[in-house]
Amino acid sequence: MKVWRDVGLTYIHYSNIAARVVREALRVELRADAAKRNISHVKFTPWVNGRPVPRKKKEPTSES
Amino acid sequence: MSFVKNARLLAARGARLAQNRSYSDEMKLTFAAANKTFYDAAVVRQIDVPSFSGSFGILAKHVPTLAVLKPGVVQVVENDGKTLKFFVSSGSVTVNEDSSVQVLAEEAHNIEDIDANDARQLLAKYQSQLSSAGDDKAKAQAAIAVEVAEALVKAAE
Repeated sequence: MKVWRDVGLTYIHYSNIAARVVREALRVELRADAAKRNISHVKFTPWVNGRPVPRKKKEPTSES
Repeated sequence: MSFVKNARLLAARGARLAQNRSYSDEMKLTFAAANKTFYDAAVVRQIDVPSFSGSFGILAKHVPTLAVLKPGVVQVVENDGKTLKFFVSSGSVTVNEDSSVQVLAEEAHNIEDIDANDARQLLAKYQSQLSSAGDDKAKAQAAIAVEVAEALVKAAE
């Protein structure tokens, strides 16, 4: 039914695109602040035996 | 005969459900997005939402429902009759048995905050992106953007 489903996109993808387009259509005053929400950061900390294990090297986070 | 019996059973069940449901005369709306909370369990009269299963209005005692939002205008009629319009990108709407309603959006803004000119420019931009898209995935992504831009243009008019 939905074309984007056939190419493997999910509603999360759909929602991301929709939100981005809405932010682009905002009044100029609001746009700069809204654009900050285009990118989200996730920080992972692995835990071993109940303790956080510090990362040896900073890994570049993949953009999705 | 079994059909008649089933129908009778179903009718009896429906009547019992209607009695048991703790329907409230008041509808409490929670409407929030990543950018702002618009209503926090506020009592309102009516809510109109655009969803993939069609646009629908919600009054108190609405049947419990779950729906996925599509880009468009959410209209809230407050208790004093004041009507407010918001544009939502996407998200979910939940109508519970106790007449509480949750509208959760990824991005929601007062309709006045949408720039009609920019919306039209975006529509043109994504339409050309759609026609020049190489693979199916890029095409689908552009098509989503076009759909959203169309809804924005319509809402901002």
